Amino acid sequence: MSAAVVVRDLGVEFQLSGGTGVTALRDVSLSVEPGQFVSILGPSGCGKTTLLRVLAGLEHATNGRVSIAGGNDRKDGARVGMVFQRPILLPWRSILQNVLLPIQVTRRVTDADRARARALLEMVGLEDFETSYPNQLSGGMQQRAAICRALITGPELLLLDEPFGALDAMTRDNLNVELNRIWRETGKTIILITHSISEAVFLSERVLVMSHRPGRVVDEVDVPIGSTRTLDVLGMPAFNDTAAHLRAHFEVRA
Amino acid sequence: MTATTNVSVDSSRGAGRPARSRNRRWRGRIGPIIVLVAIIGAWIALPSMSAVPHYVIPPLAEVVSALTDPSAWPNYGQGIATTMSAVGLGLVIGVAVGLGLALLLAELPVLYRAIFPYIVALEAIPKVALAPLFVIWFGFGLGSKLVVVVLLVFFPVLVNTVHGLREVDTDRIDLFRVAGASKLQRLWRLSLPTALPSIFSGLELAVSGAMVGAVVGEFVGAQRGLGVQILVAQARMDTAGVFALLILLSAIGVALNTLVRVLRRRVVFWVKPLPAQTV
Repeated sequence: MSAAVVVRDLGVEFQLSGGTGVTALRDVSLSVEPGQFVSILGPSGCGKTTLLRVLAGLEHATNGRVSIAGGNDRKDGARVGMVFQRPILLPWRSILQNVLLPIQVTRRVTDADRARARALLEMVGLEDFETSYPNQLSGGMQQRAAICRALITGPELLLLDEPFGALDAMTRDNLNVELNRIWRETGKTIILITHSISEAVFLSERVLVMSHRPGRVVDEVDVPIGSTRTLDVLGMPAFNDTAAHLRAHFEVRA
Repeated sequence: MTATTNVSVDSSRGAGRPARSRNRRWRGRIGPIIVLVAIIGAWIALPSMSAVPHYVIPPLAEVVSALTDPSAWPNYGQGIATTMSAVGLGLVIGVAVGLGLALLLAELPVLYRAIFPYIVALEAIPKVALAPLFVIWFGFGLGSKLVVVVLLVFFPVLVNTVHGLREVDTDRIDLFRVAGASKLQRLWRLSLPTALPSIFSGLELAVSGAMVGAVVGEFVGAQRGLGVQILVAQARMDTAGVFALLILLSAIGVALNTLVRVLRRRVVFWVKPLPAQTV
């Protein structure tokens, strides 16, 4: 089976207003198998969000090559779903309308689309809120709706950019368990950006560690835990060992 | 023991809260009512007690009879129809042109950079000062009046819409880009709704501007309208008549402004009203 995502020698440079260039990413290579859950872990400013934005087609590669599910055609927005750091729900649309937005901006919404949107909302426990407006929902509920919106077009690849970073620790734990269930139920390929070691280990099959600017992949760790993750995982030796191994990359030397 | 104490505390709290809020609402309304009563009282008292001549401040009764005199009604009706047709038509044209140009400027940054500085500069000049010029150009009819109204409507709508359209959150633009939305879809489903609160601020200014424009247009050169009637009453030293016409104009202005506010609350339902308005 061919890889879902292949990145070869990717480099991204930004031109600052003064004319100087900043290298955000240098020689980044990775490949993700279909259906895999991969986390990209790194300190803030390491370019991990830039990497995700290149995959989403929001940023251009200066060097190298990015291919998603066998092609480079990013005209079709349906192939990639993205969940951002903030929910970014539009306040003038109901939750159902927000979930349907990615379809509505490219074609007419059908009854089948609405049925699928309702099924997605049911999957995340928001079936009673389809007519509610975003400001009536808590932060965690809003981000759940944003996940439904990312899934509505039926993308093979889901990109998550620190989606739970702004939430409190309890909500975050619950959503991590839920995200694991969503991944198992939908079989999507998921790439998660995070700066939380425990979140990366808890959710992924594989963790890529990125260095500080210019961002490069400096380590790659398989998580030796089965695909079903509950909060019990947090006490497992395999979890703690993997987390300790990853933490060594970020330790401040005294 | 403790249980009963708790219950009694809870029930007293439950009873106290609605009463207090009702009290507060009543207190919020009583202020304006007192001021209104004071103004009317002063108006009744002042001309009868003091040496202020009636042509300076007419007694309230004279103003009321000027307003309620059935023989004056056809005149008022014609004045309202004339002035309001300039206000209405000017609002429609000014809003349409202002919105259209704002969308064009928002979508074409080159045009925006070339034109917008001049628009900001033009906004600073007192546009009513141009009214005499328009009478020379467009004559004493609806034309010159309409141009003044359109000018006073166009600027606030344009400037507020442009600012609103430029306030679009970059994260929301990313959301639309990932979804593969066209520029037109982005404009229609993101930029315009984002700009709606600003557009309504522009509309509120436009409505009062339209009234000013129509009356000024009639002051500098027209044959009909409430502005003309004010000039006629002034020439006859009929101060009560002037007051009656001012009350008519104020009532129309308040009605139009209220209409825009109600519309705003309906359309821009997701923006919470200012705390000052809810109290």
